[in-house]
Amino acid sequence: MNAAVGSAGVALGLAACVAGVLTLVVGIRRGRPPLLAAGRSFVTLALLGAVIATLAMERALVTHDFSVQFVADNGSRATPLLYTIASLWSALEGSLILWVLVLTGYVVAVRHRFRAQADDPLVSWALVVLLAVAAFFFALLAGPANPFREVAGAVPSDGPGPNPLLQNHPLMAIHPPFLYLGYVGFTVPYAFALAALITGRLGEGWLSVTRRWTLLAWGALTVGIVLGAWWSYEVLGWGGFWAWDPVENSSFLPWLTGTAYLHSVMVQERRGMLRVWNLSLLIATYSLTILGTFLTRSGVLDSVHAFSESAIGPWLLTFFAVVVLAGVGLIGWRGDRLRSPGRIDSPLSREGAFLANNVLFAAFALVVLLGTVFPLLVEAVRGDRISVGTPYFDRMTGPVVLALLFIMAVAPVLPWRRASGQLLRHRLLWPAWAGAGALVVAVASGAHGLGPLVAFALGGFAAGSAIRQLVLAARASRRAGRSWFHGVSGRANGGMIVHLGVVIVAVAFASASSYQTERTVRLEEGESARVAGHTVTYLGVERSETAQRRVVKARVQVDGGDVFTPALSEYPNATQTIGTPSVDWGLREDVYLTLQASPTIEGGPAVIGVIVEPLVSWLWIGGLLMAVGTALSAWPGGRRRPTDPSSMWSAEAGTEPVSSSAARSEAEGPVGTAARGPA
Amino acid sequence: MVVVALVAVLATRDPAGTRLGRSPLLGKVAPVLAGESIVAGTDDFDLAHQEGRWVVVNFFATWCVPCQEEHDDLVTLAADHAAADDLAVVSVVFSDTAANVSAYFADRGGSWPVIDDPQGQVITDWGVTGVPESFVVDGRGYVRAKVVGGITVERLEQLLVDLASGG
Amino acid sequence: MRRLSWVALVMVVGVALVVGTRDDGGAPTRDERAQSLAERFRCPTCKGQSVADSDAPASEFIRDEIDRQLGEGRSDDEIEAYLVSRYGSSVLLTPPRSGIAALVWVVPVAALVLASAGLVVAFRRWGRSWVPT
Repeated sequence: MNAAVGSAGVALGLAACVAGVLTLVVGIRRGRPPLLAAGRSFVTLALLGAVIATLAMERALVTHDFSVQFVADNGSRATPLLYTIASLWSALEGSLILWVLVLTGYVVAVRHRFRAQADDPLVSWALVVLLAVAAFFFALLAGPANPFREVAGAVPSDGPGPNPLLQNHPLMAIHPPFLYLGYVGFTVPYAFALAALITGRLGEGWLSVTRRWTLLAWGALTVGIVLGAWWSYEVLGWGGFWAWDPVENSSFLPWLTGTAYLHSVMVQERRGMLRVWNLSLLIATYSLTILGTFLTRSGVLDSVHAFSESAIGPWLLTFFAVVVLAGVGLIGWRGDRLRSPGRIDSPLSREGAFLANNVLFAAFALVVLLGTVFPLLVEAVRGDRISVGTPYFDRMTGPVVLALLFIMAVAPVLPWRRASGQLLRHRLLWPAWAGAGALVVAVASGAHGLGPLVAFALGGFAAGSAIRQLVLAARASRRAGRSWFHGVSGRANGGMIVHLGVVIVAVAFASASSYQTERTVRLEEGESARVAGHTVTYLGVERSETAQRRVVKARVQVDGGDVFTPALSEYPNATQTIGTPSVDWGLREDVYLTLQASPTIEGGPAVIGVIVEPLVSWLWIGGLLMAVGTALSAWPGGRRRPTDPSSMWSAEAGTEPVSSSAARSEAEGPVGTAARGPA
Repeated sequence: MVVVALVAVLATRDPAGTRLGRSPLLGKVAPVLAGESIVAGTDDFDLAHQEGRWVVVNFFATWCVPCQEEHDDLVTLAADHAAADDLAVVSVVFSDTAANVSAYFADRGGSWPVIDDPQGQVITDWGVTGVPESFVVDGRGYVRAKVVGGITVERLEQLLVDLASGG
Repeated sequence: MRRLSWVALVMVVGVALVVGTRDDGGAPTRDERAQSLAERFRCPTCKGQSVADSDAPASEFIRDEIDRQLGEGRSDDEIEAYLVSRYGSSVLLTPPRSGIAALVWVVPVAALVLASAGLVVAFRRWGRSWVPT
C-alpha cells in the first residue's frame, strides 16, 4: 500500500511539473494570463506529489514495510527511530525524494514571494525552469531510481539497516538536509538567471532581488559542509575532519563558486559590471551541484558516501551537460546585451579586488575539480591508476587560501573606483598590527613553520579589517540615532561577521592540521600515559548489548578530571567493527580518544589511541559565526523593486560618510544600514 | 573545457567491479614465497620448487565469509589436479591465529600448505589489501593473474585455459 | 608618525617569522621518518585516508613493513619504490611528478599564471582609458 501511494505521489509530481511547464510556456508565448495562473497552480500539485511520496516512504520505513525494496535494503527493526527516519536520505533513491521535496517547497515559496509580479514573463520563465528541473528529478524517481519498487519474491522479515557509520551520531540526521537546502536552493537563482537571459532583460536587478535566496542556499550549504566535517571528526575515528574526499570536494566546489558569485554580484549592482562573470559563476555553481550529485551517486569515484553504482549515472551526466549547455548557450546568445557600461578603472579599487577575488576562487575551484577527477581521466586515457590525496590539495590550495586571506583584509577598506596608497596605509594600519599581534602570539605559543605562521598573520590581518568595519558601522549607526545592532546587520556588516568566521575556520584548520600530536598507548587498568601535556588514565571497560549492536566502552580519564568512553561496536548485520571516538573538547585543544583494541582477557590491557589537536573547537565556532553572519546579512532592510535598473548608483563613488576619526570624508561602506538594504 | 573532457570521459567509463584485479606484479616474476605449513599433515612450501606447475596463491582468513565460501572450491580444485600434479594450492594467513586456521582446516578439509604471516611480510610483498585474494602463478614462476574475491572452480579452470592460450 | 608605525610593524613581523621558522635542527628520527613516510601512502582499502591515519589491517601491514625496512637501513625513496612495485602507483597519495600525472601539478599553476597575466593586461588597457571625474 505504501508503495502504491508513494508511486502515485511521484506520478502526480511528475505530471504536475510537466503540465506546469507546458501551460506556462504556452501562456508566456501567447500572452495568456489564465494559462499562467493555471501553470502556477500546478506548482502546488507538484509539492503535493512530493509530500505524498515522502510521507509514504517514511511510513514504510517506520512501520518496517519490507515489501518495499528501499526499506528492504536500508531498513531494520533494530534501528532506533531517529535513524530510521533519517534513513530516508541514507541511500540514493530516498535522497532523491528529499531532493524533490525541498525543490518543490522552494518553487512554492518562489511563487508566493513573487506573486506581485506573477504575470511578468520573467517570473514565469523562472518557474518554467524550476518545474523542468523538478520534472527531471521526478522522472528519475519514476524510472531508474524508483524507491517504491516492490521486492521481487518473498518479503523479508528484517533488513540490514543503514550502514553502521550512519547510525552512530545524530549529526547524520541533519547534515544531508542542510546540504540539500543548499544544493537545491541554488536552483532558484539559476532559474532566474536563465529567465533573465531568455527574456533579454539583463539590466534589471533580478540577480539582486534573488540575492537573499542565494544567500540562504549558500548559508545552508556552509552549515551542511561544516556539519559534515564535524560528523567526520566525531564519528570516523581518525581525528581528522577534512580528507579532500571526492564527496567532500563536490560539496565544496559549488560553495567556492557560490562565494565568488555573492561577492561579484555586488559589483554588478553598483557599477553594472562583471555581468558575464556573475552569470557564469551562477551557472557554474548550479551545474557543480549536479556534477557533485553525479560523482557521488554514480559510483564512479570511491568514497565513504558512494553507496552503490547506479543506473542513474548516465542520466545525471546528461542533465549536467544540459544545465551547462543551456546556460552557456544562452549567455552566448545574449552576449551583446551583457556588455557592461563601465570599465574597471584601477586594480586598486573594490571592483578590482572583487575581480581578483573571482579569479582566485575560480583557480581554487579548478584545483579542487582537477584533483578530484584527475584519477578518472588518467585511468580512462592511460589505464594507470593514480591517486590524488591530501598532500596535493594542501600544497596547491594553500597559497590560494593565503591570497584570499590577504584580499579579505584589504578589500573591505577599498573604495569603489580608485584608491590611493596613502588611503590604504591609513586604513589598514590597525588591522596590520592585529595581524602582527596574531603572529607574535602564535610564535610565542610555540607555532612554527612558514606556511601556518603566514596563515595566522594574514588571518589576524583579515580579522582586524573586519572588526574595524564593524566598529565603524556600529559607531556610525549610534551617531545616526539607531541601535548598535544596525551596525552588525545588513549586507556588508553581516558579511564582515562571516569573514570573521572564515578567518577563525582557516586559522583553526591550519593549527589543527599542522600541530597535532598522535600516540598509541597500551595501558593496563589504572595505568596512565602522558601525551602532549595531558595525562590519560585507563580505568577499565564496560560491555553492553542492545538489539542494534554490541558495544565495548573503554573508560578513560583525562587529566584527572572527566571520564570519556571511546568504544568499539559490533553490528549484527555488518562484518566490520565500528570504532567510536570520544573527544575531550576544549577551547585550546581537543584530546581525541579512540579504542584501538579492547582487552582480549578480562581486566587485561587495552590499546588506546590519543590525538591532541589544538584549536579544533574553533572550527565549529567559526562555522557557527558564519551561519550567524549569513542570517544577519539577510536581515530585512529596505526593499527594492525587482525591475529597478541594477546600476542606479554607478555614478558616485560611495554613499554616506561614516568616518569616525579622520577629518577627511571616507567614501566607503558599510552601506547596509541605509535604504540600499539587501533585497 | 575541463568540463567537456570530463563529460566525454565519464560517459564512456565502465563501472567498477570486475573480478580480475590489477597488480603491478602481473607479468613479473613472483615474489619469494617459502615457509613451514602450519596445518598438520601438509608439507612445507617453496614457490621456487614449483616449476612446471600452476600455483594458486590464496590469501584468506577464517573470519572472512567469502573465504569460507570459496574453501570448498579450493578443495575440489586441488583434488581435480592431484593426479596430474599440474597445479598446486598454497594459502597464506591474513590477520588470523594459527589455532583458528588449524581448526578450520581440520573441520573443512584441504591438504595443501598453509603459511602463516603474522608480521604481514608476505602480504605486503604481494600487495594484498584484503581477503580473499588469489594469485595465479604459471609454471615458469611468473604472476599471470590476480583474482579479487572468492574463486570458483569453473572460473579458475576457464582462467587457466585463457592464460595457457596466451591470454 | 604613521610611517614609523609601519616600519616598526615590518620589523616585528620579520623577527617573528624568523623566530618561528627556525629549524629545530637534527636529522629526522626513525619514528619521524616512519610517520612522514606513512603519510605519503594511501590506505588501499579506505576512501582516501593515508596509511598513517587509517586503522585498516592493510594499513597496519604497510606501516609494519615501513618500520621493518627502516630497520634494515633502506632510504625513503627505496621504501617508496618497493611499495609502488607491490601495490601499484595508486598507493601514492600524491601523483608522481613525471609522465601524464604531471599535468595535475602543471595545469593549475599554468591556469593561474595565465589568468593573472590576463588580469594585468586587462587592467593596463583599462587604465589607459581612465578619465578622471
